[in-house]
Amino acid sequence: MSIKLTTQAYCKMLLHAAKYPHCAVNGLLVAEKQKEKKKDSHSTPILCVDCIPLFHGTLALAPMLEVALTLIDTWCKENKYVIAGYYQANERTKDFRPNQFAEKVGARIAENFSEAAMIMVDSTRFTMGCYEPILAIYDHHENKWKCRDCNADCFEDWCEAQKITSALLEGRSYESLIDFDNHLDDLRNDWTNPEINKSVLHLC
Amino acid sequence: GFDNWNVLIIVFTEMRDKLRKWREDNHRNSEQIVDVGEELINEHASKLGDDIWIIYEQVMIAALDCSRDDLAWTCLQELKRQFPGSQRVKRLAGMRLEALEKYEDASKQYDSILQDDPTNTAARKRKISILKAQGKSAEAIRELNEYLEQFVGDQEAWHELSELYINEHDYGKAAFCLEELMMTNPHNHLYCEQYAEVKYTQGGLENLELSRKYFAQALKLNNRNMRALFGLYMSASHIAACPKVNATVKKANVRYAAWATNQINRAYQVSHAMCCVLLKQ
Repeated sequence: MSIKLTTQAYCKMLLHAAKYPHCAVNGLLVAEKQKEKKKDSHSTPILCVDCIPLFHGTLALAPMLEVALTLIDTWCKENKYVIAGYYQANERTKDFRPNQFAEKVGARIAENFSEAAMIMVDSTRFTMGCYEPILAIYDHHENKWKCRDCNADCFEDWCEAQKITSALLEGRSYESLIDFDNHLDDLRNDWTNPEINKSVLHLC
Repeated sequence: GFDNWNVLIIVFTEMRDKLRKWREDNHRNSEQIVDVGEELINEHASKLGDDIWIIYEQVMIAALDCSRDDLAWTCLQELKRQFPGSQRVKRLAGMRLEALEKYEDASKQYDSILQDDPTNTAARKRKISILKAQGKSAEAIRELNEYLEQFVGDQEAWHELSELYINEHDYGKAAFCLEELMMTNPHNHLYCEQYAEVKYTQGGLENLELSRKYFAQALKLNNRNMRALFGLYMSASHIAACPKVNATVKKANVRYAAWATNQINRAYQVSHAMCCVLLKQ
């Protein structure tokens, strides 16, 4: 019932937050679609393989979020992915608790994917060195969101995630990160971020 | 010799023009401003003439964004020396205190500006920003409303207030702010589009129809506004799917949605074609 993150997913989340330090940002996490539900599927963690940065600035409006969810859902189906989580970093650094909006979006995702996670980014611990994971992961239990401890176990390979995220931050890769807002400003902007994906692979 | 000199002049002019463009567009690309501005100040100060003072101001604010207090302090000292007793420089000193999270000291700084000049809008807005930074949204909203009673034409303030309301999920009041902005800026497609988004978020058939109308209006003002195009599609689709609408309304909205789909597909085709051209080159 728990999710794990790949380096690519973690990286792009943090790059998104780093690109807009003065704004709230949010986005989605996707996992590979499981072929069949195994009996012990509760014990195998779900691996979030990628992250789709959505918006920056004013988050709490519905129409563009619906457009993004629709387009990304289609993309997921084409790539055998499923939307497995939602992340948000609030505008104020010290404010890292999920707000009503985050819970709403999280609940919406949980409707289609029961093990969906809601992730809040803790900007107070955000450093270039990335020495510790700065996420708070919330699981959906009985209509409530329960916070789970986020440590190295929540990552496919924390050492790799730490090294690569730090390297990309130093290299200012966040300047070329594309979110859905950027895409709406210019359709040529690709929210799958193939260049950054290449950089991550290159550094692996 | 001569070639090098030409290159340096070009580089310097480019840097100065970049800073000016970012100033005019009110871009908050602070890291880039610090990169370009710091070099300009350190290497080319003599060539800048009177431009240097506005550049010091711009670089100082960007430096605060980047936690470069050393650079911010340097800029501030230069400005203090050149403009002793200036309210504008006092406000910058206040912003530095805000960046250091010394909110009480910053507030006192702004209060002292307001004592000398009670109509100083910049100082009042900074005080409201402090409330925002401290998470005191209700107070920030209250103060901003009071401010707007006095300075009813301040568009930046109306827009800020609309954002504060949206963050509090008070969409009705956010819509009111955007209505003010649309009234005074009837040709601004962004305000139309944002108003449509707020109405859509409020929900209900009436609001959906309003949102559709304003998405369409935004498109009329700027036919490349993709948010307006997508919004038109979404709102028309929802109206068409609503069980309460009669057949005529449903038919019309199905048509609007179909038109929007067509336009969206064309827009994607054009952008992909452009991408292919770029790749071929």
